[in-house]
Amino acid sequence: MNVSNAIRQRRVFVRAVRVAARRMVAEPSALVVAGVFYLMVTAILAGLWRAAADASGGSVVGYSAVALVWYVATSEAATIALPPRMIEDIGNDIGSGAIAVEMLRPAPVLGLRVATEVGQMLPRMLLCISVGLVFATLTVGAPPSGSALALAAPSLVLALILNIVTQHMFAAAAFWVLDAKATWFLYQKLVFVTGGMLLPLEVLPEPLETVTKLLPFSAMAYVPARLASGHFEPELIAVQVLWLVVLGGAAHLAFRAGERHLIGTGA
Amino acid sequence: MEEQLAIDVRRLCRSFATGRRRNRRTVEAVRNLDLEIRRGERVAFIGPNGAGKSTSIKMLTGILRPTSGTGKVLGLVPWESRRALAKRIGTLFGQRSLLWSELSPRATLEMLGAIHGLEDSFVHGRIGGLGELLAADDLFDQPARTLSLGQRMRCELAAAMLHEPELLFLDEPTIGLDLLAKQRFRDLLLLLNTELGTTVFLTSHDVADIEHVAERAIVVNDGAVIYDAAVADMRNELLKTKSIRIGFESRDHAASFAGRIEYEWRYASGTSSIVVISLDTGVHPVGPVLDEVMSAAGVIDLSVIDAPLEEVIGEIYERQ
Repeated sequence: MNVSNAIRQRRVFVRAVRVAARRMVAEPSALVVAGVFYLMVTAILAGLWRAAADASGGSVVGYSAVALVWYVATSEAATIALPPRMIEDIGNDIGSGAIAVEMLRPAPVLGLRVATEVGQMLPRMLLCISVGLVFATLTVGAPPSGSALALAAPSLVLALILNIVTQHMFAAAAFWVLDAKATWFLYQKLVFVTGGMLLPLEVLPEPLETVTKLLPFSAMAYVPARLASGHFEPELIAVQVLWLVVLGGAAHLAFRAGERHLIGTGA
Repeated sequence: MEEQLAIDVRRLCRSFATGRRRNRRTVEAVRNLDLEIRRGERVAFIGPNGAGKSTSIKMLTGILRPTSGTGKVLGLVPWESRRALAKRIGTLFGQRSLLWSELSPRATLEMLGAIHGLEDSFVHGRIGGLGELLAADDLFDQPARTLSLGQRMRCELAAAMLHEPELLFLDEPTIGLDLLAKQRFRDLLLLLNTELGTTVFLTSHDVADIEHVAERAIVVNDGAVIYDAAVADMRNELLKTKSIRIGFESRDHAASFAGRIEYEWRYASGTSSIVVISLDTGVHPVGPVLDEVMSAAGVIDLSVIDAPLEEVIGEIYERQ
């Protein structure tokens, strides 16, 4: 690809993000529902973890009650900022052949899709961050570390983009498999259990803790949550970037092969 | 020669494997499709369900590779240069929207303009021009979800035409539209063809779409072209049936005339003063029959009606 093409594509993706964000804001009811749901889940989990910390002498696996509240406020934002059935929607578009219409545009299908999802995610993420900041500050006060929290912001964006890219990679199974729902179910459970969405991964027994930290799913919730809970560990962001490159490349290959398969077989 | 052809494909075949293991078999969706379509032509590509129309369109737009055969669309091999071709063709599928429902059509058009690599100033000018041409200017700023189907289809057409495609593929574009909206949509297609020279490749089950928009009809069935001719010639070539509708001053005049003719006839519905003769022109040439009618007493109105195109197409399927 030459430079002018690359610049043009970048412009297209930026515009897709902007347009999709406007599209999301145009549906304030969906945003309100996401905000209320986020607050409910965060409040319940924060209450549970505070009780657990109190019962364990003020901390759980090195996380204080304050750190745990900031942890769940961030890990839930990393989850609820994404539409809940996104992977199914992507897979259904592929399975139903609707993706063929997107292939009739002079732009990469995956790139446009990811840009659009990122655009839709941004307003939800900003809402969750705002609600989370207010909730955590009001319930337990300031975050354990301001500098670590500053790192958590870009980490949360990376986590969400990584999640979107990986969902596309898994959903691409629909190019080959007639009923790919099992793949999507597996993905959702993997993120749920091994991503650190509900609990810090240190709570898990060895070797599960080490294994889950080595998996990419930990970069989708655990990493920004760990940073927000006061752990200044910039190397975690490098890990996220690495996963983004690896899984972004894998999603690109999966879509390229899938589109070729569709062109070759029509099914 | 190639430059004058928008579509030039030879012996295009596409087969699909269906079923599993023991029941596995190959279905030939398209068999030896030959198409030569000149730039600026308006072609209807018609056939019954399962005839191979959609498969052919997929190959012509580059989203399906043929099993065998060669061909070019606008000088490009579609299945090898899909994105390059996408810049030069427009597609409109009646059942798949190009618009984002929560956004205004204008926002979608601006987005599509960026996807096609068009300058913003060009896109804005083009949106203005299309809005005027399609009488859709006031629709572009409403959320797409609030538009009626007819209004939405006008915006869809604007989206398909935004990048000034040389060739427009339309798959069932009037499906679900009411009569007035259909008529308006057909007029717009004609306008785009005459004003901008856009080649129109249309599939539709609605005979009126074919009759009003297309100048040439290609009929496919079982994956092969079974008929290819100018729409105007189809009736004359294929059907020798004409109807002659004769209005009389009174019922008595009509009854007296009907009682002595040897052709198949009936009264027009709801009246017994209008006689409709169905004529096989192979047996009874129209001229002498008209002479006979004109010599009858009490004739006040007379019209010769061609067979409906639906019948013509049905005849093509039956002949095959």
